[in-house]
Amino acid sequence: MPLDSKIPGGPISEKWTQHKFNLKLVNPANKRKHTVIVVGTGLAGASAAASLGELGYNVLAFCFQDSPRRAHSIAAQGGINAAKNYPNDGDSVYRLFYDTVKGGDFRAREANVYRLAEISNSIIDQCVAQGVPFAREYGGLLDNRSFGGAQVSRTFYARGQTGQQLLLGAYSALMKEVDHGSVKLFSRREMMELVLVDGVARGIIVRNLVTGKIESYAADAVVLATGGYGNVYFLSTNAMGCNVTATWRAHKKGAYFANPCYTQIHPTCIPVHGEYQSKLTLMSESLRNDGRVWVPSNKGDKRPPASIPEEERDYYLERKYPSFGNLVPRDLASRNAKIVCDEGRGVGSTGLAVYLDFADSIKRLGKEVIEARYGNLFEMYERISGSDPYKEPMMIYPAVHYTMGGLWVDYNLMSTIPGLHVLGEANFSDHGANRLGASALMQGLADGYFIIPYTIGDYLARTPLPKLDTQHPAFKEAEQAVTDRVNKLLNINGKRTVDDFHRELGFLMWDHCGMGRNEAGLKLALEKIPALREEFWKNVTVTGSVGELNQTLERAGRVADFLEFGELLVRDALHRSESCGGHFREESQTPEGEAQRNDDAFCYVGAWEYQEGGTPVLHKEHLTFDEVSLTQRSYK
Amino acid sequence: MRSWLMSSIGKKQVVAVSGLLLILFLIAHLAGNLLIYRGPEAINIYSHTLHSFGLFIRLAEFGLAAIFLIHIAFTAMVVIDNKKARPIGYIGGQPYKERSLATRLMPYTGTILLIYVITHLFDFTLANSNGPGAFVNGQNLGLYGLIVNAFANPYEVLWYVVAMAAVGFHLVHAIQSVCQTFGLNHPVVTPVLKKISFVLGVLISVSFASIPIYVWLFISTAH
Amino acid sequence: MKETLNLTLKVWRQKNANTPGKFETYEANNIDVHASFLEMLDVVNEGLALKGIDPISFDHDCREGICGACGAVVNGKPHGHLPKTTLCQLHMRHFKDNDVIVIEPFRSQGLPIVKDLMVDRSAFDRVIAAGGYVSVRTGSAQDANNLPVSKEDSDLAMDAAQCIGCAACVAACPNAAAMLFVSAKFSHLSLLPQGQVESKRRVKRMVYQMDKEGFGNCSNEYLCEAACPKGISVSNIARMNRAYFKSGV
Repeated sequence: MPLDSKIPGGPISEKWTQHKFNLKLVNPANKRKHTVIVVGTGLAGASAAASLGELGYNVLAFCFQDSPRRAHSIAAQGGINAAKNYPNDGDSVYRLFYDTVKGGDFRAREANVYRLAEISNSIIDQCVAQGVPFAREYGGLLDNRSFGGAQVSRTFYARGQTGQQLLLGAYSALMKEVDHGSVKLFSRREMMELVLVDGVARGIIVRNLVTGKIESYAADAVVLATGGYGNVYFLSTNAMGCNVTATWRAHKKGAYFANPCYTQIHPTCIPVHGEYQSKLTLMSESLRNDGRVWVPSNKGDKRPPASIPEEERDYYLERKYPSFGNLVPRDLASRNAKIVCDEGRGVGSTGLAVYLDFADSIKRLGKEVIEARYGNLFEMYERISGSDPYKEPMMIYPAVHYTMGGLWVDYNLMSTIPGLHVLGEANFSDHGANRLGASALMQGLADGYFIIPYTIGDYLARTPLPKLDTQHPAFKEAEQAVTDRVNKLLNINGKRTVDDFHRELGFLMWDHCGMGRNEAGLKLALEKIPALREEFWKNVTVTGSVGELNQTLERAGRVADFLEFGELLVRDALHRSESCGGHFREESQTPEGEAQRNDDAFCYVGAWEYQEGGTPVLHKEHLTFDEVSLTQRSYK
Repeated sequence: MRSWLMSSIGKKQVVAVSGLLLILFLIAHLAGNLLIYRGPEAINIYSHTLHSFGLFIRLAEFGLAAIFLIHIAFTAMVVIDNKKARPIGYIGGQPYKERSLATRLMPYTGTILLIYVITHLFDFTLANSNGPGAFVNGQNLGLYGLIVNAFANPYEVLWYVVAMAAVGFHLVHAIQSVCQTFGLNHPVVTPVLKKISFVLGVLISVSFASIPIYVWLFISTAH
Repeated sequence: MKETLNLTLKVWRQKNANTPGKFETYEANNIDVHASFLEMLDVVNEGLALKGIDPISFDHDCREGICGACGAVVNGKPHGHLPKTTLCQLHMRHFKDNDVIVIEPFRSQGLPIVKDLMVDRSAFDRVIAAGGYVSVRTGSAQDANNLPVSKEDSDLAMDAAQCIGCAACVAACPNAAAMLFVSAKFSHLSLLPQGQVESKRRVKRMVYQMDKEGFGNCSNEYLCEAACPKGISVSNIARMNRAYFKSGV
């Protein structure tokens, strides 16, 4: 099947407006006859469910957490971009669009990105009207700050908890619709299978995580807003529950998976402290403004940092990038930390950390200034690590943080399965190979508040959808498949725990498909992952039974899917022998060690089609750049 | 209105208002009682004057009793709701062991006060101020006599002091609590109110308690 | 400083809502002092799983103190003894070798136990559904800067809006009251002009729902504020009391 992105014609600034006009409408009386399933209640899911409910659709919203408010969008710290140009510094929709395309290293669709920039302003209006307490100036108007990858101040923020406030806003809108009766909420339900009837998405199978019951829900359309797959690396800044299961199940039913190798690695996270570490915590990148990054010059130097004399320290970012120094972009900072640690010069008990030293800044500016700038971050660091960054240098290390890849969707956010729509981090659409800071929140809310409410109506109005319920054989078949799979997991009774497998998969992915990737490593990973998967299905131990709350079983199902998905991610990384954005192929770099794109060969979206029992098939959606001309990024 | 009255916050506000009225009564009562320091005539004239209001004073007493009963009844409802809200407690130590003494003692001080009020009514209000209890050294001293005779007994004095300590503890929590329940919480005002609450509680309690002690030490023993 | 700890855990185990629970004792050995409390439980659980014992169930997700999923009463304190810290951010270096740690679920009629340390906090969702929102439909908003809000009000609203809905306030309250949670949401919205229009209806409906869920009643002891990992102030409760009085009388 050729990929049809359905990008409307016309000038880029008119595409969305024109498209909205061309979309078919569902008349108000008919809306309540349509049921829409929304899976996931993060920014994208909650905003979609609320907005569809307001329109009058009969919405069923699902989340695996105990409440929709816990979705991991809540953890986003920095802010949300919008092209309001309130600071009068020359911002515009076009500039936001331009920065995002360029920041994505020219691997995103221009039309989608333009629409995102266009909608960004309405998002801010909507959120303020909901009562999101964005930071304000003394005059009572909204404050903005600047963020990486942009030369204008366009980021709206609510202290260091912007994601929390936006999510609580979307959640409140969702609960308003629950109160009105248009949305029915199903929490502690995990989607286990997508149900297709005549090739069209018509429902889902979920496991009730409290009773263990397998439940079926039928609908006229299904919306997945189930987030990213960063936890395939085991350690990431994602929440413990983040998983690929919903999108992977959809992929196995025919939805193409696009650009899975585009993962974003954040340079300043608190490093791994030991074998039992369960997750990584992000520290704001702003720390690099006043901290100096260094490691000992000599391999295996285990002295405490204070006893290492100045001449035996290697301030490697300042040495390699004299003009940008410690402020090089995320990918360079991350990659160079890995390089020095691979050389055996990493610090800390694991040797997987570098110093971020504030001693010079404290000497120069005084402790008070540093405290005013970073006090809360220093406190957070001390809480987690137990060491005082005013006295000892911080230790940091990069960590997986966001995934740009996801299910392939067209301009209407519909996947290759008719009726299956995918929003937010779960789709691949707007960030290309690299996401700019403060753009994830923007995309999630754009998809949910302002795109899907229009495009899903078009789908429902155009598609003949015969009435059906969960008694349909397709549901019974899917239920049976889920039950069989769950029982299989419970009956292995092996010797290794689920987490043990997950950890091994994660380290394997990190070593061979992490910050730097090369052909030999990727090929090795392609051998190791299937072997690990095979062992999993023979040797995992899952305690308890199916008919009860069973967190081990939940994790086992997710890890089983990661073990399949990881292979696809590696395959995608292997096929894309260029470097772009978050995907760095060591074979493809400039003499200065920067990512070298190959636009002649790889200026496309790589969308993979699942093949039962065979290798997946790659479909290419070629990208054209009419507005922003292709250039190589440079930090010289 | 009805839904307000039966809601958790409404019930508490009823407790707060009735409590506040009881405090006002206490202050007035205290002012009268302190006349004892001016000798037998002053307190007896005060007593006679009050009784001369007749129907009016009956109505006032009836109102006071009603407020008192409302205070108790609504408190009881609140306490029952609260007990129901946590059927199983914690074993790893109570999370709230840092509660202040006054708040922890609220149910006990409240119960002591209830018993006290009943005994107090029998001691003085309902007692015949011209009966045998009013005679000191064969002389009818009226209410003053009742007081002097009652506080000749050190156990009676002790009981009154304990009860007045209970009043003190009750009030220390009560006054600032009334403010919070009616929505007065201010970064500057609230700490001051808490101090006022404390001072007022202690002042009322000590002033009341001083009477039986004074009478016992300086008057009853002298007779 | 010793880098590992040996601990004894007394953990509340309860199969489901309808089965009575009891305390079980487990050893947690060689716990890294840098591990978080939940990572310590992970280690214990891995050991239990290998012995074929059902691991301890507990809610958790972000593990960076913002999602509000985690929480248990540790030695009598919701989220443990460290102030302004969620359980996932409590690290084992704050415990001593050979400590006995009692771990219990949050206890309240309004938060029935689901399993072990997991409680059902859907009552909070229902309270929010009763009025914890501004009734604005998507698309009907005016330009964001058309409505100035004083920085003071905005900051106060943000202070209240930081609530993570973990229910530690209920767990800490001697009366298992949910006043801090409910009043934080009420305050957040009523402090902003956007939320003032429907403030009366909001306070009535939210309090009605709160009472219906079986939470207790505030006795103004402020233990909720002390237990709150985000330090939400009890002045929010006063604000709600005031509004409720005005709306009712």
